[in-house]
Amino acid sequence: MNDKAIVCACEDVSVRDVEDAIAHGFGDIESLKRYTGLGTGPCQGKSCESGAMRICEARKAVPPEAQVPFRARPPFVPTQLSAFAGLELPATGYRLPATRLRPTWGTGPHPLQPKTRLPEKVDVVIVGGGIMGLALAWNLAGQGPQKILVLERGYLCEGASGRNGGGVRAQWTTPLLIELAKESIDFMGRFAQELGINVWLRKGGYLFLAHDDDTVRRIEYGAELQKRYGLPTRVITPGEAGEIVPELDVSRFIAASWNPEDGVVFPWPFLWGYADGARKRGAQVETFTRVTGIDVSGGRVRGVQTDRGRVAADRVVIACGAWSPTVARLAGVALPNVPYRHEIVSSEPLKPFLGPLVSMLGTGLYFSQSMRGEIVGGMGDPDEEPGLNQTSSLRFMTRYARALTELLPVVGKVKLLRQWAGCYDFTPDRSPILGETPGVSGLLQMSGFVGHGFMMAPAVGRRMAAWMAGGQDEIFEKYGLRRFADGRLIQETFIIG
Amino acid sequence: MDRENHDTIRFSLDGEAIEARAGDTVAAALLRARITTFTRSIKYHRPRGPFCLSGTCGQCLMRVDGVPSRAACRVRVEEGMTCARQNGPLGVDNDVFRAADFVFGEGLDHHHLLTGSRVLGRVALEIARRLAGLGELPSEVQLPVPGQMRTVRVAVVGAGPAGLAAARAAGADLLIEREPRPGGSAWLRLDLAGPDPDWVAQQARGFTGELMLGADCVGLYPNDSALPGNALLAVRAGPRLVGVVAERVIVATGGASQPLPFPGCDRPGVYAARGLLGLSTLVGEKLVVVGEGEELGLCVTALRRFGYAIERAIDIEKIQPVRALGNPVRGLDTSAGERIRCDAVAIALPPAPLHELASSVGAHARWVAKLHGFAVQVDAGGRTAVPWLFAAGRIAGLSPVSSGEAAGRAAAS
Repeated sequence: MNDKAIVCACEDVSVRDVEDAIAHGFGDIESLKRYTGLGTGPCQGKSCESGAMRICEARKAVPPEAQVPFRARPPFVPTQLSAFAGLELPATGYRLPATRLRPTWGTGPHPLQPKTRLPEKVDVVIVGGGIMGLALAWNLAGQGPQKILVLERGYLCEGASGRNGGGVRAQWTTPLLIELAKESIDFMGRFAQELGINVWLRKGGYLFLAHDDDTVRRIEYGAELQKRYGLPTRVITPGEAGEIVPELDVSRFIAASWNPEDGVVFPWPFLWGYADGARKRGAQVETFTRVTGIDVSGGRVRGVQTDRGRVAADRVVIACGAWSPTVARLAGVALPNVPYRHEIVSSEPLKPFLGPLVSMLGTGLYFSQSMRGEIVGGMGDPDEEPGLNQTSSLRFMTRYARALTELLPVVGKVKLLRQWAGCYDFTPDRSPILGETPGVSGLLQMSGFVGHGFMMAPAVGRRMAAWMAGGQDEIFEKYGLRRFADGRLIQETFIIG
Repeated sequence: MDRENHDTIRFSLDGEAIEARAGDTVAAALLRARITTFTRSIKYHRPRGPFCLSGTCGQCLMRVDGVPSRAACRVRVEEGMTCARQNGPLGVDNDVFRAADFVFGEGLDHHHLLTGSRVLGRVALEIARRLAGLGELPSEVQLPVPGQMRTVRVAVVGAGPAGLAAARAAGADLLIEREPRPGGSAWLRLDLAGPDPDWVAQQARGFTGELMLGADCVGLYPNDSALPGNALLAVRAGPRLVGVVAERVIVATGGASQPLPFPGCDRPGVYAARGLLGLSTLVGEKLVVVGEGEELGLCVTALRRFGYAIERAIDIEKIQPVRALGNPVRGLDTSAGERIRCDAVAIALPPAPLHELASSVGAHARWVAKLHGFAVQVDAGGRTAVPWLFAAGRIAGLSPVSSGEAAGRAAAS
């Protein structure tokens, strides 16, 4: 019998695993949870948060008074999908909740904010330590000596990069997105060798279901375009889809678009890998640091103000996802992006049964099975109001449970474990915003990925770094902010949610 | 413990017939039958049995009547029920995948496993995928179970001493309790000077609102429905969900028994002391009790009264257990160089405040080492940082009755 000292029995996390995580710099309980997986099993941390905290305390990982509990995620007791599916919420007068989610530490800077001083001057400040900013930092740092500073307001994974469902696909309806996704998925396949950490890319395919003739025409158009770009996408019958996922109720759709080479990843290690890699190449990545101002004079960006002081820089990149308009406003720049909440839920871990990520075009339902066996899925809400809202809702749980159990009836007695929300970063044409800002030289945009930035980031980061070094690349012209004023929109239609 | 004669009912485990007493949980019935391994753990396939015996840990998950991963300590045995152990494809007692526990003897760093080679990485992925997960899909389709919406002024979550006191003082409309009876820790008789079952009965009689028993409050949300009210509670009552819209909510969810991480601590035969005090059977004769401070003393006395012989009480501030011995655990090695034999080990650490409901909507919580947990921060009236949310009792690190009454009065005003 082996002598491991287990601290989280649900996920088999040992004291040694916790010590390793602390040694890697993940000594705050929220990051510790993500790095080790403790607290993500059926007990939801009720039996391990205390034990893990006691280890952190004994190892002096961070001052105990600076620790805040990891954000608790409902349902707090595993609860069957059939129970959620049966609750009809009278949501006719849907409105934003009167009470928004508050930080559990109160007001002011985050208790875990580093006490060290920031550099006075750097070459590039990247605002936003999500996958976009970190991928850019790693690529830039690989070009040779320049001072790069990434500023993240929370822990790594706090934003949408840590909140997405991990789907990666090349099934898009605009050539650029197909190209970016293909390069990114290829890079994900060798991420572990390049950056030394596993991201668990599992190519189980993507199955888009179409429930009406109009949607069938859309998937036929998409499959044709994708074929031209060398993808094996094809339109299949409900019967064929039923062979790929036998549990589907095939009467609920009339055709499907199938690409067996799309897949799912485990999102978090991308951030740790890129951050680690960037640091090894000399870049500085600072968490729990908030940008409070952007200095602009004479039509040029001059630096940023933060809650840890001022940093001068000739180039400032805004890579803040849904928060990009808020940050751009600090420089007096108006971005057309609009944030929308998007909710996700994870089920209890089940033995593997579901190969692909399945999505119902039209309702926005999607779900896949993670490497740990959970059914991870979400669903858009046509009544969602815009806003930077990361509150979880019961309404989402009931809508998702109804849609999922209709399409996959066998999961009625499967229990849901953990729900959370993140923000999509919507642009008017559903295409990203990249490159220079008209009127503010040196202020660069890297946002507007409408919920799929994660799967594009490896390629976008590489191309943006090359472009910033003086290389030619049409996407930074074509997808520039100027297009909205010029009326050169580029419509992408394959958006989930 | 109830020692009256009971009707015998029969159910099965992995196809073998087991006798239980009416009223037993599956966990109690199996322990009575001296079956201690309930499952294999998710990654290393280590043998696991129940720990908390009160539905807060995840160590006793079992397939019950075709439904995966139900907590054996929460499910009452019914005649003809079929239970099956999970995650041991060739039998839980002789699970071949337990090799994983030895191959990865020092632990498994899944982040950096085989990152050097793309081919080996793919092999690792395939193996990991096949070993992942716990339960199989349910055997039967379950259609949505119609739920219900209701509106109240004040709702209280938890009918232990704090919740009862709060509900009464607030004149609450609804008191939600996950156990089949109110009273919570008062039934354990840990503190003979504290609330006892008579006090519970008296409080329950004086409470004029509705007492919802056997109901888990699984979520607390800022209300975003069309119904008026600040809070929206998701309450699971049996197979259905009740949505409760409330103006004010008092959370008095108490604490959760905590394990103590030391080598072998997760093996069958290590139980939460409070869990044993709520169980309808004994798990042996002689116990070693490992714990800290006041909780250790209270549990030792109560366990003795319950019928156990206490072989040794170990205060971890002086001596630490360094290894649990056997499966099920039949002894301990200590840092004092002793080997102590017993029938089972009981852990008596202070139950950690169950802050989840409160902190999930933004109540502030601060680490309090003495409480072994994050305590919800409240003022003298039990008010949290969220204007409509109040907290009382252990989750706020306060004594139950007085803090319950204070929070109740504040919520009523």
